[in-house]
Amino acid sequence: MNVAALVFLVLGAVFNIMGNLGVLIFPDVYTRLQASSTCSTTSVLSFFIGCMLIAGWGPMTGRLLVITIFFFITNPIAAHIIARFARQTGIVPWRQSFRKDPESGEQDG
Amino acid sequence: MDVRTRWAAVRFTITFLSLLGGWLLFTWSLDVGSVLAGIASSLLVSALTYSFFIDETEAGRRAHLPRVHVFLLFVCLLVFNMYVASFRVLWKIVKGDINPRVVHFRTRLKTDIARVALTSSITLTPGTITLDLTEDHLIVHWLDAQTTHSRYAGELIKGMYEKLLKRVWL
Repeated sequence: MNVAALVFLVLGAVFNIMGNLGVLIFPDVYTRLQASSTCSTTSVLSFFIGCMLIAGWGPMTGRLLVITIFFFITNPIAAHIIARFARQTGIVPWRQSFRKDPESGEQDG
Repeated sequence: MDVRTRWAAVRFTITFLSLLGGWLLFTWSLDVGSVLAGIASSLLVSALTYSFFIDETEAGRRAHLPRVHVFLLFVCLLVFNMYVASFRVLWKIVKGDINPRVVHFRTRLKTDIARVALTSSITLTPGTITLDLTEDHLIVHWLDAQTTHSRYAGELIKGMYEKLLKRVWL
């Protein structure tokens, strides 16, 4: 049981670090949002599963379950609102073809 | 007892049961005092908020009573997909090779809550974020786009989610 919990906790740490690295690497707001919000969702889920495995069947697991449900409802809505605002502000999503030809600012397709 | 009052009573009952379930999960005890406090506060809160929790015009039976076993299957699939897609995004971050596109497609789901669940699960799956949802038209930002064809992209992104959610809520 403890080994499984350890695996999940390490997995959560790896996802969190790589998600934050993605925020630094990726080129624009949408892709950064992908890296930060979604990878951190998986990492937090891993942390919660690890904590549930450590806590065992009891009151703490119920509370962790409630927190997980709350997180699952709120987190995608927060990410969606940021992305929706960016779209309504008129930020053009980054494309691969931008990198090949940086001189002409027009987008294809 | 006209139909409006009866519908209000049904909405009140559903709100009360949801709140009480949350209370029992959170306190995790069956003491008389604890359960009585939960019932009292659930009654108070559901009397205040039942008209916000379930809209008066949202009248389908399946819109409020989901099939629980299919929903559990859906949650398991969602968690599995999240892990698979997380590893894929991780690899994309390491390689720095991304091909983001915005794709549009439509969904066949009818009820509001099913559509919200679909958009939330698309956003929860790493690699896709829902940008907008108007009626049944979804706009999705896709980190690793394989196609921009509407129907094919929809099949790849929502695929199993829609089939399962259709059985959960309609």
